[in-house]
Amino acid sequence: MASEKIDEVYEEKQHQAAYIFDPSGDFDEATRPAKRRRVSKKLEASQAHDTKTTSSFQCLLGGAELETAVTLRKETFEKLWSVIGSRIHGILRETNQSTLQDVSLFLRNASEYTPVGKIPSAFIITGPNIASQDLLFEQLSETLHNEANAQTVRLRSGDASNLRAVLRKIIQDVVSKDTSTGDELDTTTGKDGRKFLNYDLEGLYSYLKLASQKNLVVIAFQDSEAFDSGLLSDLISLLSSWLVRIPFAFLFGVATSVELFEARLLKSTCQSLYGDQFDVEQTASIIDKIFKTAVAHSQTPILLGPNFLGNLLERQREQVASIPDFIMSLKYAYMCHFYANPLSFLVPDGLSSGALQPDHIELLRCLPSFQQSIEVAIKNNKIDQAKIMLHDDEALVGYLVDSLKQRGQWVTRLLRVLKILITSKAITADFSDLYMDISHNGLDSSNQYNQFFDSIKRMDPGDCEEYLLKLLETMQHGDRSLGLDPWFDEVPETFALLSEILASIKQLRVETADEGHVLRSKYSGQSKILRTTVVAQKVQLSQDTATLTDHDKSYTDLIHRFLEHLESIMHVDGALDMPFNEVWLYDSRFPYKDVFIPRPRNVLERALSRPHDYLSRSCCKTSVDQITSTLPTTAILYQLYLETGSLINAADIWSAYYAIVGEDDEEGLDERPALLLFYRAMAEMKAMGFVKQSRKKADHVAKLAWKGL
Amino acid sequence: MVRTKQQQQDVAETTLRSSSRKRSRAAVDETEASTPSKRRSSRPASTSANNARSEYDFPSDDERVELEGEETPKKRGRSSATAHAQANGEISTPRGRKSKGISVVTPSRSRGVANGETPRRQRNDRSARKKSARALIEKVVEGVSSDEEVDEDIAREIYESSEDEEDVEDGAPNGRNYEEDTEEIPDEAATPSKKSRGRAKAKKGTRTRKKSPTPPRDLPPHELYFAQNRPGAAKTSNNTLASLKLLTHEEYFSLLHDYKEPHEDDIDFLDSIHVQSFPQWVFELSQGFSVCLYGYGSKRALLHRFAKHVYNTISDHGNHRIVIVNGYVRANMSSLRDILSVISSAIDPKHKLAAGGASVMMENLKSLLSSHDVTITVVLNSIDAAPLRRPGFQPILAQLAAHPQIQFICSADTPDFTLLWDSSLRSSFSFVFHDCTTFCPFTTELEVVDDVHELLGRKARRVGGKEGVTYVLRSLTENAKNLYRLLVGEVLVAMDDEGDFSNENPGVEYRMIYNKAVEEFICSSEMAFRTLLKEFHDHQMITSRKDVLGTELLSVPFPKDELEGILEDIV
Repeated sequence: MASEKIDEVYEEKQHQAAYIFDPSGDFDEATRPAKRRRVSKKLEASQAHDTKTTSSFQCLLGGAELETAVTLRKETFEKLWSVIGSRIHGILRETNQSTLQDVSLFLRNASEYTPVGKIPSAFIITGPNIASQDLLFEQLSETLHNEANAQTVRLRSGDASNLRAVLRKIIQDVVSKDTSTGDELDTTTGKDGRKFLNYDLEGLYSYLKLASQKNLVVIAFQDSEAFDSGLLSDLISLLSSWLVRIPFAFLFGVATSVELFEARLLKSTCQSLYGDQFDVEQTASIIDKIFKTAVAHSQTPILLGPNFLGNLLERQREQVASIPDFIMSLKYAYMCHFYANPLSFLVPDGLSSGALQPDHIELLRCLPSFQQSIEVAIKNNKIDQAKIMLHDDEALVGYLVDSLKQRGQWVTRLLRVLKILITSKAITADFSDLYMDISHNGLDSSNQYNQFFDSIKRMDPGDCEEYLLKLLETMQHGDRSLGLDPWFDEVPETFALLSEILASIKQLRVETADEGHVLRSKYSGQSKILRTTVVAQKVQLSQDTATLTDHDKSYTDLIHRFLEHLESIMHVDGALDMPFNEVWLYDSRFPYKDVFIPRPRNVLERALSRPHDYLSRSCCKTSVDQITSTLPTTAILYQLYLETGSLINAADIWSAYYAIVGEDDEEGLDERPALLLFYRAMAEMKAMGFVKQSRKKADHVAKLAWKGL
Repeated sequence: MVRTKQQQQDVAETTLRSSSRKRSRAAVDETEASTPSKRRSSRPASTSANNARSEYDFPSDDERVELEGEETPKKRGRSSATAHAQANGEISTPRGRKSKGISVVTPSRSRGVANGETPRRQRNDRSARKKSARALIEKVVEGVSSDEEVDEDIAREIYESSEDEEDVEDGAPNGRNYEEDTEEIPDEAATPSKKSRGRAKAKKGTRTRKKSPTPPRDLPPHELYFAQNRPGAAKTSNNTLASLKLLTHEEYFSLLHDYKEPHEDDIDFLDSIHVQSFPQWVFELSQGFSVCLYGYGSKRALLHRFAKHVYNTISDHGNHRIVIVNGYVRANMSSLRDILSVISSAIDPKHKLAAGGASVMMENLKSLLSSHDVTITVVLNSIDAAPLRRPGFQPILAQLAAHPQIQFICSADTPDFTLLWDSSLRSSFSFVFHDCTTFCPFTTELEVVDDVHELLGRKARRVGGKEGVTYVLRSLTENAKNLYRLLVGEVLVAMDDEGDFSNENPGVEYRMIYNKAVEEFICSSEMAFRTLLKEFHDHQMITSRKDVLGTELLSVPFPKDELEGILEDIV
């Protein structure tokens, strides 16, 4: 009964542009008391929260998951993401801070040094990232309002269809922003009772006079390149003529360069501007910062793997370059992890919550990483231990707790190693690339970073000293952006050794300098010889090594010790080698790709050319490209369509279609129903933009899309 | 008019062969294949007396002219444009005949004959050139873009005149040479000669196929594109849907009512898969994402079920409301205003949004939202529907979707909908996309009958044929009736003159009609004349266009038989 009613509504309202969906239809909207809601608002809000929890997360483990675990997953997600989200937000706020200060300072003092008759203008070089402009200009208008006591009108090229519309928007925005004096009359009528048109700046003037403060009116052109240059010139010259009465100032968001922007304006217009240029931190560096705080940070509960991150970063660099997108993608990865991974609630300290149920233990035993660790144990002849883990739940849980703890240490070690690597100048790769590589593959003595060790070998004493200094500093201070605490007191021997080497090198340098000698190691010497061998004989090479002084030898020893130590401490496992990494590792590129980079056209083409991929029925299963009458009409028509040239005769395609579905066999359609389907399919093809009307010939349509292009 | 005059002159000169010509005209009517062959194949019928005569017995008058036609391009070496074509024409034409057993001697003999008749040939050249030049002008003026189209135009024009004057034939290759790849000429000349007259209609089809054989199946997409867009490749038949009675709205809906979808089970199954992801969508919506469903098929029913699902999970309906928006509704062009005001009434039924532009309303709506603790789920059907594609819509929708209190889920039907948004809009929508191929027919979203008729170039609102016209005329004044009769009569006469129905009806000059109308006391002033015409325009009973010289031409958009019926009715 109820569903019938709903369907009725559904059919009834299908031609309405918009309506409120209310299947119960119990209360009349107009007479609904507003009071009731306000009284019980808080209570209801909390209730709503509860019901949402149960509804949006699904039971996993084939429905065996208990509700507490489901709730826990959701809560864990919300808790963890809110931390990360706020960290990211903080970064975003910070990044624009210096620009904001500069701009507001400029505008505050503009009146003092701007020549008469010129409008103070700030050109903000935003770069191509128009997606994050909104945030920037929002912050700007906020800051200007607070610090320079200015009213900011934000204009986008979309708002500015003509001069009148722009003026109207400027006036409306200035007036409506000031909510304290919300009297609309003030804007439309002058003192003498005269009415102003809504695009008359006189109205704005009288309004500002009433407001009695000498407020700056800042007009921000967010995407100044997209504005029509004629319109912009008109607007600027108009506003500059009002400058005496209304103090205007401009903000231009410039994506390219001020010179290009200037070239688009009239010379006379340019002369009425007086401005300065402000740089905004570019997307790449912001992304890097966000990467450090949200992905690589020591407190991040989830490790994102290179499959996912690589895709994300590549898309970021090559295609979108939009910070909100990046953040949302990260968020989506978290959502996926907690939504679909039943073990995800274990991430921070889920064991204490007691939500662990037998099914979870079963699942834990099936994890590949666990099985791997059992295999390792058996190989090492610890069969008893393996047996206990397989049979005793308590032992398993104990092991789990240990492993999760280990994970924290592992992250710290990873970050320290990364820090050591990145401090060196020899590593040219991005931090993010290094992070992805090492977190996934691990780092051991035999591998890919030989280049790094080589460079240390060949270091000049000066460089070496500098590097050691930096290293010691990092150990003493950690890295706040990565959440890395100082760790020199944790590894006193390393710290002591490095300090000792540093001191010795310093001393050696002083001594050699006294002797008028240049300190070098065996390796650096060789490298110098290598350069000279291009002209010299081979004999010289051995002579040169022989001439190493005692100082050089002791420096070489120091380098050796340094290298040995580095090699001994630079050792990290790959994430996949960690037991129970499935709990905290998310590395799937698929939901991300499907969800953020849709390929609607391919999907549509696939649906139409191979409908049996979607419709499971056997009748639609045909060999490739074969047309049968049982296919959906549009699919048949689409097949025919694929074979046509750029001009399609509707009569011919109709007869071809009718030949396929027609009455020849016993199941065939009569002409009129076939025509109905033909009509419907043609209308769909038109709506999807495959065909359009052609005037070249009667009853012909033009083909607009080619499959696979 | 000019053309007929010239044709008459030609006719006067070549009366000798008129009998054969007439017959060939009757047979040739529908095809546009190059003329020489046609005439050749029709010749046995025309000269039935000496049926046994073979082509290489002795050159008849016909033969001579034909050969002359083949030779002319060579003679006209002064035209550089045709120079290249000569070689081809020369080589290929004889080859076609060789297969029929023609000795090499014949051409050389006839060449001598042709040489003797210079004056006539020159004149022929001139007329053919005029024609192709005109075609060129028309091409430029009308903006006809593709080559094959022009080629056809020229061929047709030349062909029309060849009904009266065979000599003009030699213009055909010339005319083509202006436009076409030279390689087409041997083809055209050679192929038809192998065909028999009786299969004139089929021949058209086979010829096209021979010239552009269906490309192999497994071409990569880009190759297929070029194969299908090859200049000259896209020859389509002249069939029209004239014989098919098109669907009316009534018939459409009654048929639709009786029709049962054979794939219903599968569609339901597909639907059930999508329904399973409802909780996921709810989660995504609750986390500040907007959801966009794409894929083939109508997603309206699915979204409606989703709305139901959301409704059932809401505990307090005062705090969380659902607004369904149908983007495809086209009658209502101010739908953005509607959408916003419905949303505002969902927040607070008593609140009236400030009048003004959409952005003002949006600001107003935002402040309204911030003062109420409500969540609104906006379910938008077809975000890429034509009404929502107008400028200004998408930014507002993006602002709406970006609002934290608004959850936004929409569907998109076209394959290229992502082009609607630039990166800024896209990130304020913050969409997650889901493939929701449903295979459901678009029942409400599309106005099927109107769409298809528009696609076919038939105006949906046009009065329906003969009955419609008589119905309209019945309500008009006597003068209007007379004017329409006059117009239909003139158009019919023009049709008879041109004898070509493949394209639009021929037009008659506005001035001429006006003068005649004045003569017949239908109207006294041009003003009155215009007023009468306007009535016809409103019912789309006449069409008017301008020709190359800017003369206004009036015509009637009905096929010939219907026109005759109308004329009978009025008279």
